[in-house]
Amino acid sequence: MLSDTEAKELLSFLTLETRPDVKGQATEYILGLTGTRDGCRYLQSKPDFIKALLTLTSDPSVAIVKDCYHALINLSADETLHQVLVKDANILPSLFHNLLDPTYMFSDRICTILTNLSRHEKTCKNVFRVLQEEGIGLPKIVEVLCTEDYNKKASLHYLGPLLSNLTQLPETRQFVLDRERCVVQRLLPYTQYEASTVKRGGIVGTLRNCCFDYANHEWLLSDAVDILPFLLLPLAGPEELSEEENEGLPVDLQYLPEDKTREEDPDIRKMLIETLLLLTATRVGRQILKRKNVYPIMREFHKCEKEPQVISACEKLVQVLISDEPDTGMENLMELDIPEDIELKFRDMDAKEEEQIGKEALMRAEADKNNLEVPRS
Amino acid sequence: MSQAQDYDSDDGMDGFMDNFTKHKYKGAFNESNWEEEFDKVPMFMKTAPEEIDPKKHPELACLQSIIHDDDRPPEEQAKALKDEGNEYFKEKNYKKAIVSYTEGLKKKCQDSDLHAILFTNRAAAHFHLGNMRSALNDALAAKKLKPDHLKALTRGAQCCIELCNFSEALQWCEEGLKVQPKDQKLQELRAAADKFKRTAERDARKAKVKEKKERVQRDSLLRAIKERGIKLLKPDKPIRHGSDDEDEHESMTKAMAEFELDGLSCQEATGFKVHLDDQGFLHWPVLFLYPEYGQTDFISSFNECDRFVDHLAVMFGEELPPWDVDRKYHPQNLQLYFDDEKGELLQFDPEMSLLKVLKNDRCFVKDGTPSFIVLVKGSAFCKMFLSGKTVHQLK
Repeated sequence: MLSDTEAKELLSFLTLETRPDVKGQATEYILGLTGTRDGCRYLQSKPDFIKALLTLTSDPSVAIVKDCYHALINLSADETLHQVLVKDANILPSLFHNLLDPTYMFSDRICTILTNLSRHEKTCKNVFRVLQEEGIGLPKIVEVLCTEDYNKKASLHYLGPLLSNLTQLPETRQFVLDRERCVVQRLLPYTQYEASTVKRGGIVGTLRNCCFDYANHEWLLSDAVDILPFLLLPLAGPEELSEEENEGLPVDLQYLPEDKTREEDPDIRKMLIETLLLLTATRVGRQILKRKNVYPIMREFHKCEKEPQVISACEKLVQVLISDEPDTGMENLMELDIPEDIELKFRDMDAKEEEQIGKEALMRAEADKNNLEVPRS
Repeated sequence: MSQAQDYDSDDGMDGFMDNFTKHKYKGAFNESNWEEEFDKVPMFMKTAPEEIDPKKHPELACLQSIIHDDDRPPEEQAKALKDEGNEYFKEKNYKKAIVSYTEGLKKKCQDSDLHAILFTNRAAAHFHLGNMRSALNDALAAKKLKPDHLKALTRGAQCCIELCNFSEALQWCEEGLKVQPKDQKLQELRAAADKFKRTAERDARKAKVKEKKERVQRDSLLRAIKERGIKLLKPDKPIRHGSDDEDEHESMTKAMAEFELDGLSCQEATGFKVHLDDQGFLHWPVLFLYPEYGQTDFISSFNECDRFVDHLAVMFGEELPPWDVDRKYHPQNLQLYFDDEKGELLQFDPEMSLLKVLKNDRCFVKDGTPSFIVLVKGSAFCKMFLSGKTVHQLK
């Protein structure tokens, strides 16, 4: 890597006052470093560089600001750099404030950084804390998320996965499920948000995480929230059901038109089914799902599904829907003692999934760096 | 008075009293209109007059001007009018309340809060009178002045729901909840609007499905008729046989559609129309005419495969109709004819099926109901009816 003198010199070029061409080259060099694992690790020990990058995001040159954000995205994709980013360089406050600016053109990049930073629980807690400390709070994030065209220059679709990551924390889940407010209800329509798979996936992830708290299941399934149709609609197809089956369905699923299509992303389909499965944990939940004709929807879904992982999730759900009630003492599936080896298997599966998502984020960051067109859908 | 004076005044009294009987008391209430007159006295008014004309009601105008003193600053006047409106509102006198609020708004006081409240209150009065549009407009005006006025936002949402404008209602609720996220009323309104909206969407989908089903049924019915080469008669002109020719197909389809649009006028008269059953057979409403006695018989659902004899056996087999005074309308004596209304008749064997007859070139269906003439073989009426007409035989 760089010698101490070289590093010092480079740092001196990374100021707002430096001549533009020198400044540009210096930032490009740093960006290059962030593209490699060794480069990232090197920068881990050099918080001053990261601080400089943050300062340069206020630079008048758009090209320089872009490079700075790309570098930060790359750094945030590596968990070992989280502490230096958040603590030493303290990038969060400035990121949040720019995020809320409806005219800020780099807001999408900020969202990506925040999503990366909130992926793992430890830094996620930091992100949440700063969100509160800066006086912004979750209500504002949800409000921006639910406002179409909040920012004309940025789509802010990555607020979806950000929220999903934040629901790792009980405080976030509590906020989303607050019965005195209207939060989760405002998120529900986004399970069908056609403009962005990323946002849609984030919302479905949020809902799934919120369904781990089974104390809220009955409320979620009641008219006060009515989560069921929003989970089922993306899974329902144009197939005609009998009049009898139709009448038993939730209103939103009745008489669907011939051109109805299902959710195209298999991961989202899987998450939706997992959420439904979570809702079958309690007896009340199972009864409601059975009564509202979820089975015919999943029956038709099963005929059309090709992805093995999704098929297996579907089969699990159908199994619960058509089985008799379990014996007394086993009614709440979440309170069962799961044998340790099975529990380990679940954790392993989760970890693999997270790794996959992390890889994707890294790939995107790399692509951004190389100025490739990555479809943002 | 002392007794002495009493004595004296008695005489004086008489004279005094005399005046009363002789001279009318000026300014007295008239027997016929004393109630009206009473109403004019502010003290005894039961209701305030709609407009107070200072000439007719000087005292009332005076009182009003004390309330509505034009010398006071507009804010005070507006506030007084607001209070007056609120009083009327409490009495459920919404019309008067609206008048007061409107007067208050006219003052154009600088206090936008007060202005917003006047609009909001007037909106409430309109709402209770059922004037949803006016109420909504007022709520909108209030919102413009004070975007975070919760009562205005709530009222706006309510109006939209009443007007079945559910998407708009949801928007009002969103704005309201931004101001006060925990407001119970707004959350209830939001949930209600959402439910109504989704139900309305379902109803629209259901109607579409039904419409499509009906269209498909109609199309297959018309196709079945066309395939059989049965002619449908519009009131103006008959249509030729359907063929593969494009133009003919066009006009046939168009005529079929018009046939539909004509409402199959028989439907109004009899309530029945031709339909296709599950096995693909047509059932027609059929009219039998008995010109000898000016009678008719109506078969509501004559399967095209049925033979005429079978129906005649039922109609005339057991009992003859009362109008058959000569007792001669036995099934074996009956002859069936189709009248082409141009002076030519087509006679056919009752052993034939309805379809066979309808398919014939000379046959057509008028007003959606095939009709046939029934005569008694060899009867005097039959001879007379047939004279001068060309009779063709259907083989």
